Amino acid sequence: MTSETETTSTEPSQPKELTPRAMLLNVGPSHPAMHGVIRIVTQLEGETVEKCEIEIGYLHRGFEKSCEQGGYNQAVPYTDRLNYVSPLINNFGYVMAVEKLLGIQVTERCEYIRVIMGEISRVTDHLTCVAASAMELGAMTVFLYMIKAREFLWELVEDVTGARLTISYGRVGGVSGDLPDGFKEKALGVFKEVRKVLVEVDKLLTRNRIFVDRTKGVGTISRADAIGYGFTGPVARSVGIDYDVRRDQPYGVYNRLKFEVPLGTRGDNLDRYYVRMQEMEQSLRIAEQALATLPGGAVNVDASGNVIEARDMVDRAKMGQTRGVKQTLVQLSPNLEGLQDPRYKQVVASDKRAVLPAKSNTYGNIEGLMNHFMLIMEGYGIQPPKGEAYACVEGANGELGFYVVSDGTGRPYRVRVRPPCFALMAGVHRMLEGFMMADIVPTFGSINMIAGELDR
Amino acid sequence: MNRRDLNFAERLYLSEVFKGLWLTSGHFFSNMKKHLARQLGFTRIEKGAVTFQYPEERRPFSPRYRSRHRLTQREDGSPRCVACMMCETACPARCIYIVAGEHPDPNIEKYPARFDIDLGVCVFCGFCVEACPEDAIRMDTGIVEIAAYSRKEMIYHIEDLLQ
Amino acid sequence: MIVNIGIELAKVLAVLIGVLNLAAILTWMERKQSAVMQDRIGANRASIFGFRMFGLFQVLADGLKMFVKEDFIPAQGHRFLHGLAPFVAAFFALIGFAAIPFGDTIHLFGREIPLQIIDLNVGILYIFAAMSLGIYGVVLAGWASNNNYAFLGGMRGSSQMFSYEVTIGATILGVLMIFESMSLQQIVRAQGQLLWGIVPKWGVIVQPLGCILFLVAGIAETKRVPFDLPEGESEIIGFFVEYSSMKFGLFMLTDFVETVLIAALVTTLFFGGWQVPYLMADGWHLPGGTLLAWPQWLVAITQVIAYAIKVFFFCWFMLLVRWTLPRFRYDQLMRLGWQMIFPLSILNLLATAVVILLLN
Repeated sequence: MTSETETTSTEPSQPKELTPRAMLLNVGPSHPAMHGVIRIVTQLEGETVEKCEIEIGYLHRGFEKSCEQGGYNQAVPYTDRLNYVSPLINNFGYVMAVEKLLGIQVTERCEYIRVIMGEISRVTDHLTCVAASAMELGAMTVFLYMIKAREFLWELVEDVTGARLTISYGRVGGVSGDLPDGFKEKALGVFKEVRKVLVEVDKLLTRNRIFVDRTKGVGTISRADAIGYGFTGPVARSVGIDYDVRRDQPYGVYNRLKFEVPLGTRGDNLDRYYVRMQEMEQSLRIAEQALATLPGGAVNVDASGNVIEARDMVDRAKMGQTRGVKQTLVQLSPNLEGLQDPRYKQVVASDKRAVLPAKSNTYGNIEGLMNHFMLIMEGYGIQPPKGEAYACVEGANGELGFYVVSDGTGRPYRVRVRPPCFALMAGVHRMLEGFMMADIVPTFGSINMIAGELDR
Repeated sequence: MNRRDLNFAERLYLSEVFKGLWLTSGHFFSNMKKHLARQLGFTRIEKGAVTFQYPEERRPFSPRYRSRHRLTQREDGSPRCVACMMCETACPARCIYIVAGEHPDPNIEKYPARFDIDLGVCVFCGFCVEACPEDAIRMDTGIVEIAAYSRKEMIYHIEDLLQ
Repeated sequence: MIVNIGIELAKVLAVLIGVLNLAAILTWMERKQSAVMQDRIGANRASIFGFRMFGLFQVLADGLKMFVKEDFIPAQGHRFLHGLAPFVAAFFALIGFAAIPFGDTIHLFGREIPLQIIDLNVGILYIFAAMSLGIYGVVLAGWASNNNYAFLGGMRGSSQMFSYEVTIGATILGVLMIFESMSLQQIVRAQGQLLWGIVPKWGVIVQPLGCILFLVAGIAETKRVPFDLPEGESEIIGFFVEYSSMKFGLFMLTDFVETVLIAALVTTLFFGGWQVPYLMADGWHLPGGTLLAWPQWLVAITQVIAYAIKVFFFCWFMLLVRWTLPRFRYDQLMRLGWQMIFPLSILNLLATAVVILLLN
């Protein structure tokens, strides 16, 4: 609007032309709704996101470098902290890669245990993801119900591994200890509770038009884009890409278990929600089948019936009084409950180069003690032959791969993780552009980006 | 799980909203009944909440739970540890620091003159327990309250660990 | 003269204290109710001399915390408007209560005291006008904070409140037509009549669709879940992101005061207000003809208690809705208001008009 009159000192000057500028909104690293730390710089036109740029790396902790400073088993606690909501899957993935290098075949019971614990981990991961997405959409009761179910599962994990999240359960050549007694009944009870919660969440969300409107058609990505960016896991399956590492490159005993791989069609948030809910049901189904067909178990020890305390065994063996020691059961520290001798042999490969001997041997005779020392001492340890191996597992977000290079010494030369989230984050901007600002957070939540895995 | 598109009644919002409200108000009333019953003295009724009221109630840990470390003792109270450095080597976080000293008894050749665990660095993985050939260190105290006001206070020495 | 002023003052104080206390108790109830719904125990540790009182002292603790916090005004924000916004929001939410009747009349000291602060003959219009002016609070808060997020929240909040003001007005037109008055006391009195001798003529029975639409529009007006996108707690935090201490406390209080206001309006318009079925000014007129005489003060007190219980129930219901449903996205919210609730309320109005015409 231009003014025709002459400008005097008392009249206002001509107004400048107003050029509209898009608003730059920084959904910053410290934001209450972000999963982990991520920065999304969005350019908004009204409420629509025109462009967005994603900045990652806020949680880089140098995992791959840290793995090179200790032995092969010492990298296992580091792998716990990669995808920290499904730590068991990470453990087993890494350990499988090292076992490939060494050429070790683990026992059958160990494979079953890995499958069971891996599927329990997958359920906790999906529970966390769906719960957080629901909370961001405003349904906070759903969040708390699913967290309650997750707590029950963590109690199960605690019974087996000794911790809820930072479990360090996998070892090269097996797992750190057998399942406790009564695990099967307890697990089946917990699975029933989890199924009850899943039914409740289904009733609260799936047919609710508010939820469906919020998630249908939002955050879509085309199939070509998904394949091009290298998506795997539930996000890729929601677009219709039928790839699941458990079925297509089976490891463990997955080829003996029956399960379905749920698929979506549109690739939007709603399909990812469906896929995750159905995957949880399938995971519970796998775990139940594995529990039903678990080989081995309580072994009847042909013992003279004695049980001696660990310290007594150590003291006597040191004095050379090893007579009859092999026929007794040793009462270990409660932390080492799963390493009781006859059960321990069922869950670790019988390979002296990689696996610690049973505690009765360590305490009781010199050969076991020497084996033990050689596996832990500096400069020795697990020494795989020179070479490289890649092992991939189906993580909760997709194909989680570990690439381990060994140079013949006791320390890995290189441990590289293929994080499934990395490929997902590369394509996330396609899922955000063109949608509204209120969709950023739910879409981001439905991808289940775990910063620990993404940034390592 | 019904993945079909919403039918007409569901598209009117109300039927599913009411079903959802029925479910949560069901939880509300059943839990209120349990709370009221327990307040009125019927302590046999199950708890209406899954909460453990810490510090009055503690969540029961499983036997394998890895809590604060302790050094086991011989009959005379001295630590069973022979300073073989297995735990120090096995620790992925390098939080154990041991200085060995010579023990007069030739059957027990060494003893730890210093045994420090920095609980601020420890990742509670349990490798030290697994690595110990003497059953000298255990993580079964059940103590999880290790908060301190400074990082120095989180380093536990041998006298703290012997309890 | 003095006695009159004294009585009016007493009524104002009673309403003010009642509403503010109910709003404060609602903060407690929000925590506890959500906790019970979610299988947990809410906040229960705030104690005075060892007495916990089920966590009621938490309200005091929260209030105390808000008073002693640092009062923060953003550096580039507009100081005066930043301070004015919470006052505007809270003030206009509170004055709406002046026209809502919480009882019939009570005979005290030889006078007949109407239990309503002012009996305007355009009571409804006054309340809606007050609610509309509350929109300024939101706009000022969003704009004066000099923060993109707050600005977005303020814009969303103001346009949402505008649209639902119109919608709310449209939903109650049927009620106004049936009870032929805009004065709230008249509407409540008219709900004492009996349909077919048994069923009290409450708003929900003659206008069920209107009741549901009003409830939905009312929840949208108060910006509570499922319509709380301006507050958008997990997304853009909301229009009050740059407020701290008691100014933020005032916004939260406004939220709960408006909840109480909508609950009060629903009970007044649709659920008979202070009416207890079959209870008239001189006692119980049960269907079948029996008359149970009660003293007038007892009747008045029963009616006030009935009103309080109904308001409390609707507050409970709104909290239940808050913790169960996911929230709408902004464009869906506007579409719901303009393309679904508004046409339905117009249709409701037409149907009501036709039915009234046919029945007279």
